[in-house]
Amino acid sequence: MRPASASARRARPLLGTFVEIAAWGPPGVLDGAIDAAFAAVAQVHGLMSFHEPSSDLGRVNREASRGAVTVHPWTSAVLRAALDLHRVSEGLFDITVAPVLQRLGHLPGRAPGGHPAEAPRDAGFELLGADRLRFRRPGVRIDLGGIAKGFAVDRALDVLRDHGAKRGLINAGGDLAVFGAAGERVWLRDPRRPAASLGHVTIRNEAIASSGGGRALVVDPRRAAPSLGIRGATVLAPSCLLADALTKLVRIAGEAAGPVLERYGASALFLSAGGLVHVTRDWSTRVRRAS
Amino acid sequence: MKRHWVTWAAPPAIVVSIAVPAHATQYLTVEQAQKLAFPAATRFAEAHVVFKPADVAEIERRSGEKVRTRGQQVWRALVEDRLVGFFIVDYVIGKHLVIDYGVALEPDGRVRMVEILEYRESYGGEINSASWLGQFVGKTSHDALQVDRDIRNISGATLSSHHVTEGIRRVLAFYETCLR
Repeated sequence: MRPASASARRARPLLGTFVEIAAWGPPGVLDGAIDAAFAAVAQVHGLMSFHEPSSDLGRVNREASRGAVTVHPWTSAVLRAALDLHRVSEGLFDITVAPVLQRLGHLPGRAPGGHPAEAPRDAGFELLGADRLRFRRPGVRIDLGGIAKGFAVDRALDVLRDHGAKRGLINAGGDLAVFGAAGERVWLRDPRRPAASLGHVTIRNEAIASSGGGRALVVDPRRAAPSLGIRGATVLAPSCLLADALTKLVRIAGEAAGPVLERYGASALFLSAGGLVHVTRDWSTRVRRAS
Repeated sequence: MKRHWVTWAAPPAIVVSIAVPAHATQYLTVEQAQKLAFPAATRFAEAHVVFKPADVAEIERRSGEKVRTRGQQVWRALVEDRLVGFFIVDYVIGKHLVIDYGVALEPDGRVRMVEILEYRESYGGEINSASWLGQFVGKTSHDALQVDRDIRNISGATLSSHHVTEGIRRVLAFYETCLR
């Protein structure tokens, strides 16, 4: 007799990292659910990769200075979220810092000319409805590296749920979301020493993301330069898109990100250069510290 | 702003307070991955290839990647006697990673599926140990690795998958050189 419930855990190289998908539920649905969830992640990658000229984003960066460009509804949803985050964070969350990353050699291609430090503090692009957008001026370039991975995790989790899984987990290189009655314990890597942990936290029907410790830079749009004061940040949020995006904000703004976190129902931990761990009050009772 | 935050001193970086020493997971056995890739196949015929020196040179030329093995583990996926694809097991070693992965190819060499079979992260020295590697390479059994089962989910510095991307490039050059 087949068991009423089973589990499966698989991983594929996607989004430049390792995407792990675990699902629990009726044995007959798990393989198909996980296949479809991987396909959703691959689709987000295909739409929003800065590196692929054929992606939605590649087309936007080539054409949106000259006129309106129509994008996939998923790309449009990510751009709308980015616009909202830009407004609420008063410009600190900014997806148009791609030219800075290009100049630093962290994104391919030559940066357009101009002086980004003197650019106006608007979002650099506008949404026109019906999944169309245009850039506000020449020289704008978008990189969704700080938000698309979280969105991909959210979509993959939706797919698991839609395919009948009772519980699911997606972990895209540390951007992680879960659904179901059971909580998942997540260990937080110490950004100074990846073999050690700062502690662990148990998450349930929510998402967690971390930034720092690796090679990835976060650009402070006020200075058009890398933000170096904070060694690493972890954010808990209702969606992985928010968790992913807000880690960048916390690394730029530190404690000043507090009101924005609160507005999105998120909480955070970050490690300052001086070696202090800062946690939002609502999270201080949840994280189990390494002693 | 202060009301939002509390602070504590981080554990000193030099002390491994809670170690995350070896985040390792076996996801699929070779057999499980073969069935996922080719559900209609009635059997998988072993067709392991031992490289001739000319093969190594050709694979390196086509892929731009160094060949570090003496051969490649390959199975032909068959429906009765009809070839429906290839299943290749390969591994890559990064600075902190050892990964066993499977690549399923269509008969014409297009990639059908890539799945991680086994993933091991390590910040210790054991990756460089030849005997340890010897245990690992090509193995699919559960007993080769001692794993802390509790540490399954880690949030933190993202580990790049570019070694696997390079490995797949080498596997495709192997197909062109030895299987086509």
